[in-house]
Amino acid sequence: MTMLQTLMKEIKNLKPIPAVANKLLAVVDNPASSMEEIANVIQYDPAITASVLKTCNAAYFGLKYPAESVKDAVNMLGTDQVIELVLLKSGAKALSGRQKGYGMESGDIWRYSVSSALIAKQVAVKFSLKNKNTIFTAALVKDIGKTILGNHVSDASKKIKGLVKNKGFSFREAEKKVFGIDHAELGALMAKMWKFSPRMIKIIRNHHLADERMIQDKEIVTVYLADCICMMMGQGVGSDGLSYRFKTQAMKELGLCADDVSMIIAEFGMNMRAVEELLHIV
Amino acid sequence: MKQIVGIADMKVSNNPKESIITYSLGSCIGLVIYDPVVKVGGMLHYMLPESSIDKDKAATRPYMFADSGIPRLFKTAYNLGAAKQRMKIYVAGGAEILDQKGFFNIGKRNYMALKKMFHKNNVMINKQDVGGNVNRTVRIEIATGDIFVKTSGSKEVKI
Repeated sequence: MTMLQTLMKEIKNLKPIPAVANKLLAVVDNPASSMEEIANVIQYDPAITASVLKTCNAAYFGLKYPAESVKDAVNMLGTDQVIELVLLKSGAKALSGRQKGYGMESGDIWRYSVSSALIAKQVAVKFSLKNKNTIFTAALVKDIGKTILGNHVSDASKKIKGLVKNKGFSFREAEKKVFGIDHAELGALMAKMWKFSPRMIKIIRNHHLADERMIQDKEIVTVYLADCICMMMGQGVGSDGLSYRFKTQAMKELGLCADDVSMIIAEFGMNMRAVEELLHIV
Repeated sequence: MKQIVGIADMKVSNNPKESIITYSLGSCIGLVIYDPVVKVGGMLHYMLPESSIDKDKAATRPYMFADSGIPRLFKTAYNLGAAKQRMKIYVAGGAEILDQKGFFNIGKRNYMALKKMFHKNNVMINKQDVGGNVNRTVRIEIATGDIFVKTSGSKEVKI
């Protein structure tokens, strides 16, 4: 069996991210969608609905009366907050495990993913980018490939670390060299099998900007930037550490100077307590 | 008991039963100070070099920046009887992403900001583990002043 066949088999055995996330994204990034349409998509999935209502009613949100339906939740918390919760709930299970190959303890990859998603949203809002929910979700699930590749990274750890330490490879480049596929490409493959939108698949595949032509795509660059900032902040970073490439050109494409990056980091620092609380309640 | 220093946070202790720890430094700097005579130790986890980029944030979260956090760390330790001339200093973090150059290299700028302040105030670093592409966690035991570092995926080592 080739490496790719082995990986495909493992993906098939994995419980996919709930379909509601995809359906929701198709609706929410369409400016013509109504609050009612959004609520309808969510309540179609009873498990997610129950889970979202439970979270909405946690003390964190300080609701005066408990939300008893998705419509209640949307009315009381606002559409954006409820969408965010559904997307977080959808990704939580798939991204909650321990990733031994990447030296990540249980909860690390989830912390990294949630932090990336919040930073990406912060950047998307700052630059008034369209499709901010797609950007949020892509940043949240971009490392899904690590959940499969992790076991193999563990076995080939010496080889990969050798390439990074002695040959100047980035961790992603070393994955590609050793397995013929890296975690971003594998993540895109998983997203395709789970019927994510072509846009989402593209962002996941290119979130390390391996193909430099993607630098012109603002949504991809936003997710890339969020990833870089998350690495710098060390939130849930594994043994691959900061061994990825920084592309100054990508910052220029977004019109960012170093001080802008510092400002985004500072803003994230201000929100750290909210992130901690969110990690606890989701 | 473990005192946890969050991001943009600081803790100082003279309780020998305590250790102070900060997780996941990345490009941030973990500055550890310890006076072995009075057994007072402190730790600062700052994110950025200069508070001038946002004075309002520096006012509410002074430990976010090197220039507003470092003096507060020392002063808090002095208030518990620590003295500058006896202080042992350890610095960790300041990691960088590959090819992260110039002003975008926040890890390096974080470290340089500290070096500049120390030079001006005649403070010497005793030990350090800075730069590279690794994510570090640092811990100090107040009773002994022993410092331990862990990089993601590896075991904790005493330095």
